[in-house]
Amino acid sequence: MNQVQTYPIGPGVTLKSFVDPAFKTMRLSVNMLVPLRAATAAGYALLPSLLGRATREFPDYTALGRKLARLYGASLGSAVSRAGEYQVLTLSAGGISSRYALGGEDMFGELTGLLLSALLTPLTDSQGLFPQEGFLQEKRQQLEQKDAERSDKILYAHQRCHQLLFPGCPAGLDRLGSREEIEALCREEMTSAWQTLLKEARFEIFTLGDCQPDVELFRERFAGLGQPLALGAVERPLPERAERVTEIQPLSQSKLAMGFRVQAKAEERLLFQLMSAVLGEPTSSKLFLHVREEQGLCYYCDSSFSWVTGSLFVESGVEIQALDQAETAILAQLAALQRGEITREELESARLYLLHGLRTVGDSLHRVESWYINRAFDLPGQTPEQAAEQLMKYTWQDVAEAANRLVPAGVFRLKGSES
Amino acid sequence: MELEKIESRRVGDYYYKVRHPSGLDIYLYPKEIGRSTRAVFAVRYGSVDNCFQGEGEAAPTEMPLGIAHYLEHKLFESGEGDAFARFAQAGANANAYTGAESTSYVFSCTDRLYESLEILLDFVQAPYFTEETVAKERGIIAQEIKMYDDSPNWRVVLNYLQAMYHAHPVRQDEAGTVESIAQITPAHLYRCYNTFYNLRNMALVLAGHFQKDKVLELCSQKLKPAGPFQVRRVLPPEPDTVVTPLVEQRLPTDMPCFQFGYKDKGGPRSEEDLAAVTVLLDVLASDASPLFRELLDKGLVNEASFGYQYFEGRGYATPIFGGESRDPQGAAKVIAREIARVKAQGLEPEAFELAKRSLYGEAIGAMNHPGGVAGSLADFVLRGQEPFRYIDALAELTLEQVEAKLDIFREDRSVLSVVRPL
Repeated sequence: MNQVQTYPIGPGVTLKSFVDPAFKTMRLSVNMLVPLRAATAAGYALLPSLLGRATREFPDYTALGRKLARLYGASLGSAVSRAGEYQVLTLSAGGISSRYALGGEDMFGELTGLLLSALLTPLTDSQGLFPQEGFLQEKRQQLEQKDAERSDKILYAHQRCHQLLFPGCPAGLDRLGSREEIEALCREEMTSAWQTLLKEARFEIFTLGDCQPDVELFRERFAGLGQPLALGAVERPLPERAERVTEIQPLSQSKLAMGFRVQAKAEERLLFQLMSAVLGEPTSSKLFLHVREEQGLCYYCDSSFSWVTGSLFVESGVEIQALDQAETAILAQLAALQRGEITREELESARLYLLHGLRTVGDSLHRVESWYINRAFDLPGQTPEQAAEQLMKYTWQDVAEAANRLVPAGVFRLKGSES
Repeated sequence: MELEKIESRRVGDYYYKVRHPSGLDIYLYPKEIGRSTRAVFAVRYGSVDNCFQGEGEAAPTEMPLGIAHYLEHKLFESGEGDAFARFAQAGANANAYTGAESTSYVFSCTDRLYESLEILLDFVQAPYFTEETVAKERGIIAQEIKMYDDSPNWRVVLNYLQAMYHAHPVRQDEAGTVESIAQITPAHLYRCYNTFYNLRNMALVLAGHFQKDKVLELCSQKLKPAGPFQVRRVLPPEPDTVVTPLVEQRLPTDMPCFQFGYKDKGGPRSEEDLAAVTVLLDVLASDASPLFRELLDKGLVNEASFGYQYFEGRGYATPIFGGESRDPQGAAKVIAREIARVKAQGLEPEAFELAKRSLYGEAIGAMNHPGGVAGSLADFVLRGQEPFRYIDALAELTLEQVEAKLDIFREDRSVLSVVRPL
């Protein structure tokens, strides 16, 4: 993978540039990292879409859409995600490389202009507020997104289990804020939320693909913004017992989401990822081979590990009457892992599966960005190549030991009822 | 072995098309991005090919619904073990997909390419079905079917197709039903495999980093020469009318969703025709369109979910608009009214030019990654099309060609499918 260059822009602002002319596209993103708090979550979460829906030069959705179409279907996008106890608010622009622009446009200049204008000099009305119409539209859409997420039963089960693991902690908060908090947002608050965000966020800016950033331009535009927020995992005490909740809905299939907690150092991230891969990620994993293939209990039964929250989830969709059987089967595989019953094939296949992921980070601009944002929380600057090297060192004993440190923390069962 | 180099100055890429003596067409697309290589071994056989007549057979045979998908699941297994396990040991990520008209077996890898390619060529050519292994899969696929049964976004599409098509098998769930898969036996699977998995009815696509000669040498070692492929795919007669203009279902969802569209004449189609319809839909409903603006302003759709597509294939075709909506009927009404207006007034030339530019950019971007390139190239070639010709067609389209496609919207052939909360 080509080198990622890091340019300090200011005390709380960093620019990372990944240049690879083999890409036919480019991407530019500004990621704003802030602590996730109930008081600010909903307002902050609304900002990226509010900022990205129009600019002063293209003051409505259609005018902006036409501009983007003229730029060969370029995009101006927004996203909100959660990383442990932080909210990650993203405004991004993407498009084709200038060498494909039929009219010879400077695509990077155009995209940078649009993105920075949307973020730093947004469209406001005569009172300095975000326009009423756009505010109401984005608020409505945020509420609809929450409803849509509740309708996706796999996601819903995961979110409910996640809440069981982090009661009363910022990590348990919804990245979009609660429904009530979104409903309570008023337009007058949004301008000050935007100003506070620019002042208090840690900025991670990326330019990726077939483009070269003008570092001085970014220094000029981000002067005085952001603050050097320290990132990382916040240690929370491990639970003494697992919380269990069962909810019944008229579904054809039940969903099972099991959560475990662990306190792990940043250096141990890859070890726990390896443990999760042996347990239930690739088709060579214990859950796939035994719970799905041998016992035929489910179509999917997967595990996933997040270092920043110190949590491992196992999720599955099973026959309504087979919830107990599936839970027992999953725990049996975890117990086998904890006893060190790990074959050479299981360990090596899991390792190769993770290596494949590490080696292909440079295949996609999104994945390069995602890799380096995540590293901001644990091992800043660690390259995928360094991670691959570290991954090779772990033995089956290390994996078993890691599995023994998992503490059961929550089980959410969404039980189907055919009536 | 015939070898043809196909180049596009617009895209700045090329690939080779190889007619292998075994009967298989092989497509090799070099990509220098990143480290991965993606391979797709695909067959023109999907969920709609449920009734067929082989050479010398007196009458067509009808198979249980979902058999193409069941076959895809079972092909990974052999007497010596599981192909997934072999791929995993070679460090490759493997998967498979069944669509309406094709089934694809894929892997991606960063090294040991030839080892993984050997596994792919091996297992797809070596079916192994027993009563025991076929029975074991039933529970897994039943869970897959039930998972989709609970998905509002899936149900709204399936209901749409069932409201539109009287008889065409595209109206059926690709995975079948819990009842239909219970009827599937090893004999059924062998019958379908032996009928359709003929190298003359298949394609192998590689995109990424590889040595062309080494790939072809391996293919020559592994491919078993195929006999002639002569199968009649039987589709029931399908009237031009729809079954019902409105279908509704209630599910435990918090957000209603809809699909609205029109029944068009079935394919196959040329690249030019596809490009013209794609531009037309973009003019009508892209982010830059007056229609999208009206839908958004009236709170009838949201940006995250609203979308449109031209879903088409052998014997079926339909332009579809859909997404989440608090008022699906209201959204459909606005879409229908805008289509009627455009039919009466014609397309705005500037909107037409913008759509062409936008879709050109999208097509260039889609040629970035080996994964996307391999999948897209396989889709094109299985349909008898060529991706660079499609991109050229997009660039060369005239307003008149696109306006001529407005007749795909027939008011008396519209369907609205809605999923509402309980």
